Amino acid sequence: MNLIKRFFTGMKQEAEPESSVMAEEVEKSTVAEVSQPEPQPEPEPEPQPEPETETPSNFPVVRSVIQISAISEGVFPKDSAEVLIKAQPSPTGDQCLFTVNRPLMTGNSWFFSDFESAVESSLAEALFCLDDVETALVCESTVTVTRKDKTLVDWVPLAKEVGTAIREALGAGKDLIAEKIISNLPSEEKIREGIQKVIDDEVNPGVAGHGGNISLLAVKGNSVTIQMGGGCQGCSAADLTLKQGIHTSFRKAVPMVGAIFDETDHTAGLNPYFS
Amino acid sequence: MPKVNTFKVKVQTGLQGMSEPVHFNFNNHKLPFENAVGSAESGKVFEGSFDVSSFAHSLTLVGPESGKWEIEKITIEYDCENEKPYTVHFGRVTLDEKTEVNIWQDPPVLAFDV
Repeated sequence: MNLIKRFFTGMKQEAEPESSVMAEEVEKSTVAEVSQPEPQPEPEPEPQPEPETETPSNFPVVRSVIQISAISEGVFPKDSAEVLIKAQPSPTGDQCLFTVNRPLMTGNSWFFSDFESAVESSLAEALFCLDDVETALVCESTVTVTRKDKTLVDWVPLAKEVGTAIREALGAGKDLIAEKIISNLPSEEKIREGIQKVIDDEVNPGVAGHGGNISLLAVKGNSVTIQMGGGCQGCSAADLTLKQGIHTSFRKAVPMVGAIFDETDHTAGLNPYFS
Repeated sequence: MPKVNTFKVKVQTGLQGMSEPVHFNFNNHKLPFENAVGSAESGKVFEGSFDVSSFAHSLTLVGPESGKWEIEKITIEYDCENEKPYTVHFGRVTLDEKTEVNIWQDPPVLAFDV
């Protein structure tokens, strides 16, 4: 009898595989009829994983990435009497950063666009005496130089000439930056207003077509720090946008603006171009 | 965006530490460190490394799942393909369950004295 019931049960399981629960119940009742064992304690339910309270969905928590600056271990030995200069060409080769172990312009920065702008600034005058120097940006203890001949990537010959020019200017004892430039520097508030206006009226409407946006993060002296967001963040053309678009617009609208820093982390976020 | 062969990290924890294993996030893959020594508890030093052999797009140190982790100093030694090994130092930062800190830095650009 039991065997027959098992057979029918097996047939039922084969015929209705989707009703396996029902088939199991039939089998259990069959066993109970035949042997009538002692009542078994109900099997304990298998421990189910507790639902995550903080993340109801299966998506992982998206953490925000904190950016902190790396600690500089010191480019130069301390208290060196000698004028030390390090040259650091940019990866693209379009400009070279010169770091000096002396202050060149404290608290502010100045962009020299041509020889005429260098009048009475001994440092810039010395630099523009070099044939290949196109522009010079002086900020704290650094000078960033761009060259006229964009086809040359080897900076060593020009960098040595720039180094000599910086030393000569420092040794001459004249004003490195013209007094009239320093005395006419506008307040941070004026710089902020001017830059914010050009961002709102000119830059952001321009980059909005590509889903991008630019925001002004900070103004220190006449140096500004911006951040590129939206489609600009991580875009392969961000450097071009920054140097040929944003820099030009800023300097045209606010001629007194000095260094323009970009704080954008182009590899951060969920879907930057570079990743 | 070089190919990272290996990197070693040394984390000095400040006053508030954590007892969880230390994880990093490489190109959005959260992983534990290999060769882990020490701990991230208060005042302790944690050291770990990882053989990556992959191109670095992002690398972060992940905060604890609960509580806060006050980091005093992070030192990372990178060994990248076709680059000289280089070391990067980061200062104080506090991490929690919603944050991670970027510890990736491209190899230093060649600089020379003039």
